[in-house]
Amino acid sequence: MEYNRFHQGTVTSLGGATPVILPFLPNWITILNSTRTSAASGVNQASWQETMGQGAAFVNTVGVPSVITTGGFSTFYAGLSLQYGPVVNISTITAANPAVVTTATAHGLVTGNVVIFQSLIQSATTGMQQLASIPFVVTVTGTTTFTIPYNTSLGAFTAYNSGTATAQATVKQVLYPTLYFPSMKFISAITLGATTTVTTTTPHNYVVGQQVAFRIPSLWGTTQLNSLPNTVIPGSPLYGFVIAVPSTTSVVVNINSTGYTAFTTPAVSQLTGLSFPQIVAVGDNNTGSLLFGFSSLTINGPTISGAFQNNTSQGFIIGPSIAGTAADTIYWQAGIATYSNRTLQQTII
Amino acid sequence: MRQAEDLILRDYILSAASEIAAGGGTNSDNPTNLGLSDFSLVGATLDTNNAYKFVTGIEGMDRFGTGPVRATYFMLSSTEIQPDFDALIGSGFKSQWDYPTNASALPSEYGAILNFRILTSSEAPVARNASANGRDVYYNYCMGKQAVTHVDQDGFSMRLIYRDPYYSGMLAQNATLAIKFAQSQGITQDTAIRVLTCTRLGNNSTV
Repeated sequence: MEYNRFHQGTVTSLGGATPVILPFLPNWITILNSTRTSAASGVNQASWQETMGQGAAFVNTVGVPSVITTGGFSTFYAGLSLQYGPVVNISTITAANPAVVTTATAHGLVTGNVVIFQSLIQSATTGMQQLASIPFVVTVTGTTTFTIPYNTSLGAFTAYNSGTATAQATVKQVLYPTLYFPSMKFISAITLGATTTVTTTTPHNYVVGQQVAFRIPSLWGTTQLNSLPNTVIPGSPLYGFVIAVPSTTSVVVNINSTGYTAFTTPAVSQLTGLSFPQIVAVGDNNTGSLLFGFSSLTINGPTISGAFQNNTSQGFIIGPSIAGTAADTIYWQAGIATYSNRTLQQTII
Repeated sequence: MRQAEDLILRDYILSAASEIAAGGGTNSDNPTNLGLSDFSLVGATLDTNNAYKFVTGIEGMDRFGTGPVRATYFMLSSTEIQPDFDALIGSGFKSQWDYPTNASALPSEYGAILNFRILTSSEAPVARNASANGRDVYYNYCMGKQAVTHVDQDGFSMRLIYRDPYYSGMLAQNATLAIKFAQSQGITQDTAIRVLTCTRLGNNSTV
């Protein structure tokens, strides 16, 4: 880092962890919550330097200073693909819709995080190993519990219990699940009909008008949706368009799938070399709508219409202990100082 | 700079392209290690999708130990799975040094099998401990011609930024070297690219 860098701006508090995206990773941050100051209640000022550690902050609660070590400031850097959080052991996974996961220790996740599982083996022929290694978005229900959007009450699954299982199942967070969007997504369910409703295991980031293709291996049933081979016009790819977005994990596609083979889940015995069903964005993309709270602006400016959007980002997070109340106006300053007082003291002879 | 361009394109393909899990190996994981049937399946998939091959074949010559090479697609793989390719010698894999001639071989080319010529890199994507049984998962990009593209943007305004070192003493020397560029990347033919995921037969790390 050659230069000192300094940025400032305002952000509206989310009432909890509030991100601020920057074109650099800061080593000092200061905020002033004007709403809390006017209300004369709550945290109205906070500051941080990187030597304090992640999650810490010097806090001023309307004239009462203190130092906190959790819930303060944290920084995040430009994402790299295939990065994971710590491994957490699993105690149980229910055969239910949705599946409920109970971890042996606090999982540290928040709703919206993405995870992958390993070793979902209850016995040599039972368990949920068909779900291992693909990402799922979680809904947190407790410090050791969360659900995933998958119907494990189907006959191909049996509940997992580490107390009687032959392998220890684990889960870990996928730290940067979506570097580029719209991206390929794994499918958890397909509802057939005059239009086709597709449910994905993680937020799909598609918008109305997005052209899509399907890759559905034969063991999962609905192979008639595959773009190729096209049985009607061999060699001509079959594509669909998203015509509705009922939720962040479902889309409606304008393909008439009436009479197609039902979507199904392979048995545990068919796991080896099992490819997963996928929906893929193709053609010009209809990027530019809200996604995970991000607008079409990237750290480098507005999205190029029709392009894949680069979700790589870095900056800092105003933690829940200092973010005030939702809709509070927070003025922030952040920067990189290349020299610290400690460094100067060390170099002076 | 070129490395940064390659890494961006690598991560983009990882996000956007569809995947096929290797199932032709013997380690009973998902995905398995690479087997001959995996190359056959992906090759047939690309052929059925009317993908164009990058290079024509290499005819056989009277040189002991060599053999002809088919017209091929390219497969971009990790250097860490080179031992698994070596294990397929005799099952269809031909090392680059066993080509009839190396005139058309690329510096990073490791060998060929069926309709693929394999280029390896230490920066190929690897997901550590991410398979069903906790092995490392490798993402092998199998692609035909014109499957992906990379376009320089902003009027080709790529700049090398350099400031000479200056110093005011032995403890205060610094310089600046940076690049600034704008690019976009895209999959121009989604039917001509597949990401073949695999694990290794063993999981011994390279050192």
